[in-house]
Amino acid sequence: MFDLEIEVNGKQEQVSVEADTTLLYLLRDKLGLTGSKDGCRSGDCGACVVLLDGKTVNACMVLAPQANGASVMTVEGLAKDGELHPLQRCFSESWAFQCGFCTGGMLMSCYALLKSNSNPTRDEIRAAIAGNFCRCTGYQALVTAVEQAAAELRANNV
Amino acid sequence: MKPAEFLSPTTLNDALELKHKHGAAARVIAGGTDLILRMRAQVLTPSLLIDLQHAALNNIKVSDKYLEVGASLTISEVLQNTRIEDLFPAIHMACRKFAGPPIRNRATIGGNIVNASPAADLVSPLIAYDAEIVLKSANGERTMPLVTFFTGAGKTLLKDDEILTQIRLPLSAASTNAYFIKLAQRNSMAISQLNLTTRLNLNRQGLIETARIVLGSVAAVPMRAMAAEAMLVGEKSSEDLFYAAAAQARQEVKPISDIRASREYRLQMTQVLVRRALLESIANV
Ligand SMILES: Cc1cc2nc3c(=O)[nH]c(=O)nc-3n(C[C@H](O)[C@H](O)[C@H](O)COP(=O)(O)OP(=O)(O)OC[C@H]3O[C@@H](n4cnc5c(N)ncnc54)[C@H](O)[C@@H]3O)c2cc1C
Ligand code: FES
Ligand code: FES
Repeated sequence: MFDLEIEVNGKQEQVSVEADTTLLYLLRDKLGLTGSKDGCRSGDCGACVVLLDGKTVNACMVLAPQANGASVMTVEGLAKDGELHPLQRCFSESWAFQCGFCTGGMLMSCYALLKSNSNPTRDEIRAAIAGNFCRCTGYQALVTAVEQAAAELRANNV
Repeated sequence: MKPAEFLSPTTLNDALELKHKHGAAARVIAGGTDLILRMRAQVLTPSLLIDLQHAALNNIKVSDKYLEVGASLTISEVLQNTRIEDLFPAIHMACRKFAGPPIRNRATIGGNIVNASPAADLVSPLIAYDAEIVLKSANGERTMPLVTFFTGAGKTLLKDDEILTQIRLPLSAASTNAYFIKLAQRNSMAISQLNLTTRLNLNRQGLIETARIVLGSVAAVPMRAMAAEAMLVGEKSSEDLFYAAAAQARQEVKPISDIRASREYRLQMTQVLVRRALLESIANV
C-alpha cells in the first residue's frame, strides 16, 4: 500500500491506496467525489478531467502516487457556498449538456482555459476541449456557454 | 493491474541507483500516458515504478552547440518554449497536433521517444533536426543520434539500467525552413496514420545545403528517406525537384497495413505529403 497526502478542493486528505490505482479511483471510490466520470479509462474521452497543480489532466491516466503532495481541483470544487460558478450556470442556461456525463470534465477544461485566457475565441475554446468528447449534446451550445461565462467573469472583474 | 511498488527519487542519481539495482523488473514512469495503459492491459507488469517527476529532468538550456532539452519536459512545456518554436519550429508543430490538452500536460518528450511507437509524433521532427540523446546509467553515460536508437516497433537500444536524460538539438541544424505533417482521422485525439517532417537549410545563394525527410508509421522504425534527401542537396528549390524527391521517398518507405491505414494508402500519401511538406518548408523564403 502507498500512503499519500493530497489536497483536494482545498482540503488536505491522507489516503492509503495500492500503488497502481489511479487518481480517478482515489477521487471517486476513496473520497466519494463522483463528479469526475469513469468513461474510457484510456485518456480518450475527457470525462475524468480534473486540475492537478492547476493543469488539466485525465484522472484515469494519473497513478494516485504520482499525485502525492499535489493539489487537485475537481468539478465539486467549482461551486462556492452553494452558489454555482458562472461557467456552471452558463452551461445550464445555454443547454450545454443533456446527459451530463461529459460535463464535469468539460467544465474543468473550460475553467482552466478561462484562468489563462479571459477572452477566448470560439476556436480557442474548441482547442481547449479537444480532449473532451460529448456524445449527445454537441459542441455549439457549449462553446456559446463558455463565451458567456467569459464575458460575465470579465464584467465582474472590472 | 498487478500492484507494483512506487518510489519517487528526488535526484537523478537516486533514480539511476534504483534502475541499477532492479534492472528490467523496474520501469521508469514519466507522464505514464503510455505505461499506465500497458500495465492495465498486462503487457507490462513491473514490480517497481520509478517516478521521474522529481528527478530534475525538466529543464531546457543552451550550450555553445546545443539546445539541451530535459527528457521529462511535457508536450505542453515544449509548446510553451519560444526557443524551440523559433529555432526548431517543426517540433512545435508536432506538439500542436498531439492528443489534447490534458494528455499534453502529462505526456513527456522522453516517454514519446522511449515508448518507440512507429507513430510517435515528436520523433520525426527530432530526427529531422539531427537530435542526439543522452542515456545515463549508474556507471556512466553515452550519447547517440536519435535516428539510430530504434531497433523495431517498441524496441530500442536502451539498456535495463539506463535512463534517457536529455535530448540535444544541434544549433547548427536549426531551421525555420521545416514542416511537420500529421495524417490522422481527425484533428485531435488521434494517432498518426503517417507523420513526416522535412527540414531544409539553404546557403547564401539559396541552394539547398542540408535536407532531411523523416517519416513515421511507414516502417517499423522512424526513417529518413536518404536517397530523396540526396536528390535535393546542392539544388535550387523548385516544384519539379520536390515532385521528384517525393516520388523517390515513396520508393524508400516500407509501410504495412494496420487498423489505422492500408499499405497502399500510406505509400500514396507519402508521395503527396513529402511534396507538400517540402513546398511548405520554403513557403516563407
Ligand atoms: C489519449 C492519448 C492520446 C495520445 N496521443 C498521442 C499523439 O497524438 N501523438 C503521440 O505521439 N503519442 C500520443 N499518445 C501516446 C503517449 O501520450 C506519448 O507517447 C507520450 O509522449 C508518452 O510519454 P509519457 O511521459 O506519458 O511516457 P510514460 O508512459 O511514462 O513512459 C513510456 C515508456 O517510456 C519509458 N520511459 C519514459 N521516460 C523515460 C526516460 N526518461 N528514460 C527511460 N525510459 C523512459 C517508460 O518506462 C515506458 O516504458 C497518446 C496517448 C493517449 C493515452
Ligand atoms: S475516463 Fe479518463 S479520459 Fe475517459
Ligand atoms: S452531455 Fe451527454 S455526453 Fe455530453
